[in-house]
Amino acid sequence: MSVHQKERISGLLDGELRGIRRWLTERHVHGCPICAVEYRRQRHVRQLLQANLLPLPMSDSADFFWAKVKAQIRQEDEKSFWTKLGAVVPEVLRERPSLMAWGPAALAIAAFGIFWFGRMQAHGTHRGPSVAANFSAVEKLKTLIPNTSATSLQSNDSQDMVIWVSGLPWTPNMNEMKTEFANLNI
Amino acid sequence: MRFLLVQLSLVLATSFAHAASIEARLVRASNDLKVVDPSLKELQPKLKKKFGYDFYQQLGIQQEVLRENKTYRLNLGEGFVVFVTPKSQTKKVHELELEWTSGRASLVKTTVKIPEGNHLFIKGPAVADDWILLAITIRE
Repeated sequence: MSVHQKERISGLLDGELRGIRRWLTERHVHGCPICAVEYRRQRHVRQLLQANLLPLPMSDSADFFWAKVKAQIRQEDEKSFWTKLGAVVPEVLRERPSLMAWGPAALAIAAFGIFWFGRMQAHGTHRGPSVAANFSAVEKLKTLIPNTSATSLQSNDSQDMVIWVSGLPWTPNMNEMKTEFANLNI
Repeated sequence: MRFLLVQLSLVLATSFAHAASIEARLVRASNDLKVVDPSLKELQPKLKKKFGYDFYQQLGIQQEVLRENKTYRLNLGEGFVVFVTPKSQTKKVHELELEWTSGRASLVKTTVKIPEGNHLFIKGPAVADDWILLAITIRE
């Protein structure tokens, strides 16, 4: 945090900041005398407010109101990781312009890593059976009966494959099943 | 001449000894059967883990030695037939074209790669409270 931002200090005191934003703000407050004074001032105001609470008229009971707030907070938390990352990354880059210089380097390292991994995989197939060679795999999968679908599933703890055919007609017994499928012409 | 015949029979025996085979089983999964099918002793724990039913009954089984690009018709009974065409084999992994049919209807068509010793399970139609399953195994 290279600029003195009162909103950040307020957010820090309210516990609204998380992760790298919290860490950066705390670090800045510890190192910047102006923001340290602002931090102490805002903390004092909060302490005064807490000590002299005004009874506010509320339509909801305190418990119900708090339950609603918690539900709202939970909804906010359930926002996707990428949405949060998309919001945080530009902010971090704005505060740390030096990171911009590392961006292309990081991309180059990532590209090299992918290239190297690809080469290792290609060599692995010549040296001997890889781990993946022990697993079953579905290359193509289709169903012809209308309104049916097939999905392939493989659990991490098993080398066996399962194909799940859904939407097939239900019958009460084996004889009716045979008749049902005998009459389907697909 | 006798020496040649011995050589030939040895070559043939070796080639067949390395040929893998496919085993297709038609299985009924149920909670009401209350009978443990001894022919599914090996598969029962895997089936239970995958499909969750308590009991499994083998309705039919067929086994064939695999030869590339030959289509096998495995009649499993109850109107179910599996068509299998081995396409290739690389390091004991077999690529198969597989079609499961019932009557004139094709339930599912797939191309799969199965290593020897592994299984492919297909969940098929539901009958009453039970499921009909197909278990494919490649054996050395």
